[in-house]
Amino acid sequence: MISGAGGSEVPRGWSGPRLSAWFSTGLRHIECIPMIQRRFACLKRCGWAVSCWLGAVVLGGVGLGGAETAEDIAYFEKHIRPLFAEHCYQCHSTEAESLKGGLLLDSREGWEKGGESGEAVVPGEPEESLLLRAVTYGDPDLQMPPKYQLPEDAVAKLKRWIAIGAPDPREGAAAIAELRYDPEAARAFWAFIPPGSTEVPAVQDRAWARDPLDQYILSALEARSLRPVGDADRVKLLRRVTFDLTGLPPSPEEIARFAGDPRNDDEALAAVAGRLLASEQFGERWGRHWLDVVRFAESMGRTRNIPFPFAWRYRDYVIDAFNQDKPFDRFLVEQVAGDLLAASSPLERREALVATGLLALGSLDLNEGNREQFLMDRVDEQIDTVTRSFTALTVSCARCHDHKFDPVPTEDYYAMAGIFRSTELLGGYRSRRGGNGRDYFDPSLLVSLPGGETAPEGATEMLQDLDERRKEIEQQLQRTRTRQQRLNRMIQASSREVERPARAASAAGRPARVGSAQRAANPRAELRDLRQKQRELQIEAEDLRTRQAALLGDVAMGVREAGKMENCRVNIRGEVNNRGEEIPRGFLTLIGPSGAPEISKGTSGRLELAQWLASPQHPLTARVMVNRIWQHLFGSGLVQTVDNFGETGSRPTHPELLDHLALRFIEERWSVKAMVRAMVLSRTYRLDSAHDPAAYAADPGNVLRWRMAPRRLEAEAIRDALLMAGGELDLRRPEGSPVNRMGEREINRIGGPVEEASDRPVRSVYLPILRDHLPHMLEIFDFAHPSQVTGQRDVTTVSTQALYFMNNPFVVERARAVAAATAGLRDSAGARVSGIYLRVLGREPGEEDLGQALDFLRNGEKSGGDPWAPFVQALFASAEFRYLQ
Amino acid sequence: MRCLSRRDALYTASCGFGYLALAGLSTQNGLAATPGPNPLASRPSHFPARAKRVIFLFMQGGPSHHETFDYKPELIRLDGQQAAGSYPGARSKEKLLGPRFGFAPRGESGLMISELFPHVAEHADDLCLLNGMHTDNPAHPQATIMLHTGSVNFVRPSMGAWITYGLGTLSENLPGFVTINPATNVGGAQNYGSAFLPATYQGSRVGLGRDALRDIRNSEMARRDQRRQLDLVQSLNRSLLERVEGNPELEGVIESYELAFRMQFAAPEVMDISREPDSVRRRYGLDRKATEGFGTQCLMARRLAEAGVRFVQVTHRGWDQHNNLTNKLAENCAQTDQPIAGLLSDLKERGLLEDTLVLWGGEFGRSPDGQGPDGRRHNNRGYSMWMAGGGVRGGMSYGATDPLGGVAVEDKMHTHDLHATILHLLGIDHTKLTYRYAGRDFRLTDVYGEVARRVLG
Repeated sequence: MISGAGGSEVPRGWSGPRLSAWFSTGLRHIECIPMIQRRFACLKRCGWAVSCWLGAVVLGGVGLGGAETAEDIAYFEKHIRPLFAEHCYQCHSTEAESLKGGLLLDSREGWEKGGESGEAVVPGEPEESLLLRAVTYGDPDLQMPPKYQLPEDAVAKLKRWIAIGAPDPREGAAAIAELRYDPEAARAFWAFIPPGSTEVPAVQDRAWARDPLDQYILSALEARSLRPVGDADRVKLLRRVTFDLTGLPPSPEEIARFAGDPRNDDEALAAVAGRLLASEQFGERWGRHWLDVVRFAESMGRTRNIPFPFAWRYRDYVIDAFNQDKPFDRFLVEQVAGDLLAASSPLERREALVATGLLALGSLDLNEGNREQFLMDRVDEQIDTVTRSFTALTVSCARCHDHKFDPVPTEDYYAMAGIFRSTELLGGYRSRRGGNGRDYFDPSLLVSLPGGETAPEGATEMLQDLDERRKEIEQQLQRTRTRQQRLNRMIQASSREVERPARAASAAGRPARVGSAQRAANPRAELRDLRQKQRELQIEAEDLRTRQAALLGDVAMGVREAGKMENCRVNIRGEVNNRGEEIPRGFLTLIGPSGAPEISKGTSGRLELAQWLASPQHPLTARVMVNRIWQHLFGSGLVQTVDNFGETGSRPTHPELLDHLALRFIEERWSVKAMVRAMVLSRTYRLDSAHDPAAYAADPGNVLRWRMAPRRLEAEAIRDALLMAGGELDLRRPEGSPVNRMGEREINRIGGPVEEASDRPVRSVYLPILRDHLPHMLEIFDFAHPSQVTGQRDVTTVSTQALYFMNNPFVVERARAVAAATAGLRDSAGARVSGIYLRVLGREPGEEDLGQALDFLRNGEKSGGDPWAPFVQALFASAEFRYLQ
Repeated sequence: MRCLSRRDALYTASCGFGYLALAGLSTQNGLAATPGPNPLASRPSHFPARAKRVIFLFMQGGPSHHETFDYKPELIRLDGQQAAGSYPGARSKEKLLGPRFGFAPRGESGLMISELFPHVAEHADDLCLLNGMHTDNPAHPQATIMLHTGSVNFVRPSMGAWITYGLGTLSENLPGFVTINPATNVGGAQNYGSAFLPATYQGSRVGLGRDALRDIRNSEMARRDQRRQLDLVQSLNRSLLERVEGNPELEGVIESYELAFRMQFAAPEVMDISREPDSVRRRYGLDRKATEGFGTQCLMARRLAEAGVRFVQVTHRGWDQHNNLTNKLAENCAQTDQPIAGLLSDLKERGLLEDTLVLWGGEFGRSPDGQGPDGRRHNNRGYSMWMAGGGVRGGMSYGATDPLGGVAVEDKMHTHDLHATILHLLGIDHTKLTYRYAGRDFRLTDVYGEVARRVLG
């Protein structure tokens, strides 16, 4: 069949012997068969014109590479084609299951064009040809075939083939499918079209809605002939809104007040929302949501897990920003380019500097000895965090190749990379290979903050001591430098006249002295000693600087403009040593507002990037943030994949509502609190979690929001509620972080400060967040992975959580505290049970609950112990405690 | 327009009363759905598995293959010669260092094994030496993380987490992935982490002794009292479930308590080696100081594997012989030889070796040229590991380094290939075990990995 197909389509002008050689070699190798078929299919399609042209070219002896004789071609057919087929086609042909390195060897054009590493063959120049370099295995980074080395004679043949000019009769386009985007199509994707205003949809039940957003929800339900379930009762609602806005349960007094509030639901709820939004706890709750997104942590993780003693400043900045209701566009600009903003006061300046901590908190491989690799990995981490957190785009995918799904050409990635390359990282650490933990700290690489705080108590004296010591060291260093210069001069002199200084010294009858002496017995040895001493002094000086800074606390992690502004060259396949074209600094070209600000010379472009991201015209920024807010209040986003609005992400369930909210967010000066308030006061938010068979049958996933689906509380809320129930939680913000006091060492022991700190009765947002050593409790309840952008936490239900409630001493202690706090309610067991229910579950016990409780308590007493703490623990352990309804 | 999240899939797939929908997970990992009580429930593999479980004996630091499992007469011959030009990557200034210990043919297969492993050598006919190993990075942390997660540049789930995600656990009372006494540096928890996979799949770190698992004991209450307390909890849970229908997660809570309750008794019992008979204890070397530590870990590994844990890792540290190679290596081998041999023979006697894959090795090997008179540098370009049991061919050597043991040249096996092969032995197609995260499907082997078919028995 194959020969038949070939026979009927042999183009005119192909000479007999060549053709037969072509077939005999081709057919020996199974890989060739499909290629042959395709070639002829192609000829068939293209018709005679092409075939004639091909024939003419070959016949005329012009060849594509110059003068190729029949003999040369025969050499190729006899030796090279079979060799390629046997050893290379598996990965380097159009038939390869997956093409490696973008290199095709089944056509002349393939090797002429070369792969991602460049031109594979330079005809006539074996030494210049990558192909030969690869097969000779001389270069450890380029060895082909990867699994074995070619026999020597095969290598010799390749060499000869290249030397005679690489004759190759195989025509046909190398079919590297380059992924390029159609700008029209790119701009037509829903998420890349700027939000448009729509008319608030009409609804049948006009009395139901409280906020325009309700109308969007209700109209979609009505379109499916569904009705929302009824409202949650006030007790449930209060628990829901208090946890949602502050991460804490309502107190029994607050429950009583709200339940008894004579005003209507709208007014009573508005009053509660106002109180909660104004409380300091709001920022602690919502700040933590943002910290998840920006992979906040207080240590490096990975290969060299060193603590970040000043990361807490960024944490507190975020909490404060939410409490101040800092406009989100401003919040964004500060985090990306706060150091480049003009400030009206030192305080404002401090805040903006601390904000850039966002860019310095990533988890990097400090052991990376290759500086360029470390730099590009750091840049990648920054691009990934910035683009995913603010615009829910996975731009980092374009580091190695054009983004496979979204219109992000690799050039765009490197345009952005240039911005971060021109930005200096001030994280207080540096990369290197080897050394012990403290070698990775570099306190000179931190942002020092203006405006200064007063030194903490007891620090003044220590600071003075340190200061004196620092001055001494400086003087000593000065002395060593002077002496060094002198010694160097002596060595130079003595190299001209070797013995003189020593002889002069002995002639004078006194031993050569070290130090201030004019002469030295052995200047080289002394110089060595001096250098050693100098190193020691420098290290001590560095230590002092850190200790001073730590005492003052006047440093933060962040960034600044690099000394040199430079564009980035494309790293082909993401390999740092494989550089392509230089790309001017810039932003995404196919996504985002057009008319992006020009990056002025001499600046990194970070400020322009921040402004471009924060632009009201940006199609993603506002949508992404309102979607995050929605998710935290309604359990899941209108776009479920909150960190991915691209092609592989989900589509919005209510696209018009999303746009409505995004535009409203921008109009209301990007106020997070206003958006939260609007959502919380909506009717949709008030829905009960009750079941409705008809609605469930039509929409089991509650995509249309016919009810409020129950939600598991986050780890922090569970822990805070445990402490709150017994009145133990200290709501004051602790000073700094325990990580600040860990010192310069690598974290490799589990426990220690983390475990100690975890038991302190502070809010969980203030627990130390060390990568790879999370507080046990937070970890088992699905805390956000602190190395990755996490807009949506997992919710797992596993037995380690059950074991925690059953056996962990922290839980047992909290149960005792509740038992003790309610011990006064002894009039009747029922009153105490009620008191405990209110504290733990935020509601009164029902009749059945009470009966069960009293049974348990009676039996417990019978078996001899105090049953109250175990009873409280049982309530803690119940699903109701950790679920919001 | 509808694009379901995993969570939605869970709701939708569970028919009102189901549970954490495995359908949701299994559509992702390409394995058939088996509705079961929890995400750790045992699931069928892509194709019939040769191995059901894995015990990974991780020798941290980069054990020298020249003195253990890669016999090179040429290196003996050239001992003390200038290394320059002798093999690709040789350091010009160093001298070649002949193996410090001798080799002899062992078993019927005549596999060459060093005198440092006399007991392991008795199992020569069960060993499949992987002599053509290579990996990307010559630094400890990177290579260790690479070995465990298949990636250095990014935080990725560990091999044990992927396997547990793919297959679940075999026990109703135990977690699916346990790592005993892991190294806390060189990547720490990342080496047994689940990264973006659900947290259920991360390795449970256990120490040694009875209280090796967190929160496994209740020191406050008698078992009967705790059961009574748990009955109250479960009754509260059930009444909540009645009030809020259509919430499979709540059913999950109820199940999790029952498993936890059982685990409290099953896990310490499995971990408690004190009641093992003396004959068994001796077999693992628990009667001698040198072997007691590692022997305990090996014995615990066998008990965990036998009880149904899918992936057990045991770690022995200190294989980084830049100097003092002769003494330190002999010491390491003396500490591990008897326990490993004991583990292999114990597994065999219990009929477990045939479907338990035992994997031995470090993050890389060492250089043929010396570092000083009695040390070797790191070498990621050629080293050895071995497999036994679990459907691999015994008594063979797969792959080879150059005549001096410097660089893998034949049947080279990269870390990705190792992972692909391990998954294959477990009945998993490594290209199909995927998880969708941040908009794309991830694999343990990324876009690489080739199964070494010749090692399959």
